[in-house]
Amino acid sequence: MAYVELKNINKSYGDFKASDDVSFGIERGKLIGLLGPSGSGKTTILRMIAGLESPDSGEIIIDGKVVNDIPASKRGIGFVFQNYALFRYMTVFDNVAFGLKYGPYAQKDKKYIETRVNELLDLVGLSGLGKRYPSQLSGGQRQRVAFARALAPNPYLLLLDEPFAAIDAKVRQELRSWLKQIIEKLGITSIFVTHDQDEAIEVADEIIITNNGRVEQQGTPIEIYRDPQTAFTAAFFGQTGYLEDYRKFKSFEPIGEIDKAIVRPEFVKLTKKNEFQKFKTSAVEATVERVSFRGNYIEVGVESNGSHFVARRELEQELVSVGEKVDVFIYRIFVTKGDKAYLLQNSSLREESVVI
Amino acid sequence: MKEKSKRVIPGLGLSLGVTITMLSVIVIIPLASLAVFTGRLSFGEFIDVITNKRVLASFEVSFVTAFIASLINAVMGVVLAWVLVRYDFPGRRIIDGMIELPFALPTAVAGISLTALTSDKGWIGRLFDRVGIKIAYTRIGITFALVFVGIPFVVRTVQPVLEKLDGTYEEAAGVMGASRAVIFRRIIFPEIRPAVFTGFGLALGRCIGEYGSVVFIAGNQPYNTEITPLIIMAKLQEYDYGSASAIALIMLIFSFTLLFAVNMIQVRNSKILKGGR
Amino acid sequence: MASAAIPVPANAEKKSSGTAVKKSVVSRTASPNLIHEDSAAAKAVRYFLIGISVLFIFVMMFLPLATVIKEALKQGWAAYKAAVTDDYTKSAIWLTIEATISALAINTVFGLFAAWAVTKFHFKGKKILTTLIDVPITVSPIIAGLIFVLVFGRQSVIYPYLKQAGIQIVYAVPGVILATVFVTFPFISRELIPVLEAQGTDEEEAAALMGANGWTIFTKVTFPHIKWAFLYGVVLCTARAMGEFGAVSVLSGHLRGKTNTLPLYVEVLFQGFEWVPAFAVSSILVIMAVVILVARNIFEHNAKTKSGGV
Repeated sequence: MAYVELKNINKSYGDFKASDDVSFGIERGKLIGLLGPSGSGKTTILRMIAGLESPDSGEIIIDGKVVNDIPASKRGIGFVFQNYALFRYMTVFDNVAFGLKYGPYAQKDKKYIETRVNELLDLVGLSGLGKRYPSQLSGGQRQRVAFARALAPNPYLLLLDEPFAAIDAKVRQELRSWLKQIIEKLGITSIFVTHDQDEAIEVADEIIITNNGRVEQQGTPIEIYRDPQTAFTAAFFGQTGYLEDYRKFKSFEPIGEIDKAIVRPEFVKLTKKNEFQKFKTSAVEATVERVSFRGNYIEVGVESNGSHFVARRELEQELVSVGEKVDVFIYRIFVTKGDKAYLLQNSSLREESVVI
Repeated sequence: MKEKSKRVIPGLGLSLGVTITMLSVIVIIPLASLAVFTGRLSFGEFIDVITNKRVLASFEVSFVTAFIASLINAVMGVVLAWVLVRYDFPGRRIIDGMIELPFALPTAVAGISLTALTSDKGWIGRLFDRVGIKIAYTRIGITFALVFVGIPFVVRTVQPVLEKLDGTYEEAAGVMGASRAVIFRRIIFPEIRPAVFTGFGLALGRCIGEYGSVVFIAGNQPYNTEITPLIIMAKLQEYDYGSASAIALIMLIFSFTLLFAVNMIQVRNSKILKGGR
Repeated sequence: MASAAIPVPANAEKKSSGTAVKKSVVSRTASPNLIHEDSAAAKAVRYFLIGISVLFIFVMMFLPLATVIKEALKQGWAAYKAAVTDDYTKSAIWLTIEATISALAINTVFGLFAAWAVTKFHFKGKKILTTLIDVPITVSPIIAGLIFVLVFGRQSVIYPYLKQAGIQIVYAVPGVILATVFVTFPFISRELIPVLEAQGTDEEEAAALMGANGWTIFTKVTFPHIKWAFLYGVVLCTARAMGEFGAVSVLSGHLRGKTNTLPLYVEVLFQGFEWVPAFAVSSILVIMAVVILVARNIFEHNAKTKSGGV
């Protein structure tokens, strides 16, 4: 049974529909990523679960109880704000201790508070910095304080709003794996909001994709990546290119009218004329338009049959140059029609019965 | 109401309730009474009151002196702000602090000391008396007092703008060979112009309504140095509440229009800078 | 400015750029004043501007203060002391203090609630509310006095009831206090609102989420942000309250020893040609003004540097 459940949630701000019949469930102990472009309604969902906003209609259920009318402070959640919202006039210690001193989870025992705060500061690797003020910390340290503060009253559910957005790229990478580890260790059900797909893939056990106030798809990162259900998900995830007319590429069975044919770099096998191409008969000729070094692979932009898309090559492979004629074989494409997305396999693969 | 009960930060009902109640009792209801009492006059009576010769003369005195004083303040305000922001010299901090004196010094005290200063026995009055210029008890005296009252408004609106002015624009212009005069006229002045207008408007608003510092130095000669607030005071002492309200209403409309104009300047300016519609 | 002699038309800028670049290489510094060499003309302009500024401040600010002192001590210490310790002076001091403290108390309550309502919530009509709060600043003091005469005076509809209850407001102490409250009404709220606006609502939301009640949120989280701005507002409010003349003048009735505040008493003495006592009493207000100026500078400095944090 789902631990957190949203049923037919609607929420509007004036004419803007922030949540449009949103429903989903989350299992206990999972780390969930709410992923979507800005304005897609993901933060609104998070704030409604927290009780910072209330839905116009629909039910929010936590642990079997409808919490719509329970105030934010009594829902037993911890919340990490996008800009952390640390109390600037309090020390790190007082920030973390706040939820233990005031509110429904207040503790009378001063010794306990001190032990608990120090324990948390140890946990987030900030022991000894309790006397500092937030302004004396780095961005990453502030995020850890915000995290410790949210955890202090032992919440049942942890919500994080764009937890890595305010941190520079290098530290962000470290913090991601740190946060994932620590949440796994504590086993606390957590939901975080992000607009960064890499972040969602790397950190979350399960991803919920939102767009235009609706939930597009829910699933593990690999499920969503492999099997996008909607046109939005198919195009949002990964580095997408579009085929003007997929029927001009060999060995795809034509299927009625479609809106778009999406091709990801991983779907493309690019070979130089002198290299071995397994599906030679199904490959088409393409012209190299652009070659970019991406650190651990080479990105090649090509043109074929009036379509522009991207392929990748290993660093060990022979270099291709701009203007060179090459062969491309496309394993599969996603075709979209209306809201739906379908996978279309290259039929020459079926003959080989190769599965990736 | 359902929405409000679920707000996360507590205290909307209480704080809004207290705010609106106090605002109504202390500001809105008393101000509304002005309209009520003016309304007791017929339209003809209203026109008679505000077109009475003595009243019209007082409008002229109040407006002309306030306008000239505000012009002087606009110029001196820019000079003072410029000097305080751009130059460093001994005594700069004292001058910076002294600008604020008109806010801190009670207007009655300012009034009597400016009168003593500019009467023919005072330090300033004596000098001008020799060349045959009288300051106290003339319109010059009123203007003098209003310059005192209005100066901080201009300095304090222009100063922060000058402080924030990005030096790179000036550098860019300088590198392109513009002279200092051109830099000031084409680069700096357009930046501070809205602030100068705002300061001018605020000073004018204050000067039009000013009473304490002016009554002593004005001499209060009807048709010559009698300011509008003094006419209202006189009507009150005659228990002529209708006339007092009518004249007050005209003043009030003028100040609100001025305030509106000042706000428009600021709105327009922030649109230019922030690129809104 | 003196160097205005060289008009630079738009297309001439390019021609003269060569020389200017050379100059700017000489003074490679951030200060825009150093782009041009400190020529004699520029120096002259600077001395001229500083000169008229100093002269202006000397004539407009320093001389009036000096005049008060000079006139107050014209007949020596004894006369000064007699005027300052006069019974009427003392009662005027007390009434001034009373009115100032009342204004401070009422406007503090109003300022804190109004700033909280306006900055921590969204509601319809917020702009109108903030505009209305600032209205007393634009109203002439005489009009401020007038409106309370209209509301509470003899011709008012509520006058009979007030009389029956034995409450006199116009030409009595409550009137003086009301007038003082009105003219200083927005002084505290308008200092707090910009600071709270800039601070946002994140911290309050975080505290509320952890279950802190309104009082805890205000005292522990919000107030530290506005402490200096609040004190700054208190100083401005005090300055205006103790010095208010026009509005109080309309409502007081000038009863010596009863409804005269210090500024009103100064007027009474001055109009009665009692110059030395008038200036002697004024000197008390001058001293207060100087104290306020110093406090103002300290609080404003702290408000700028200590609020804001991170």
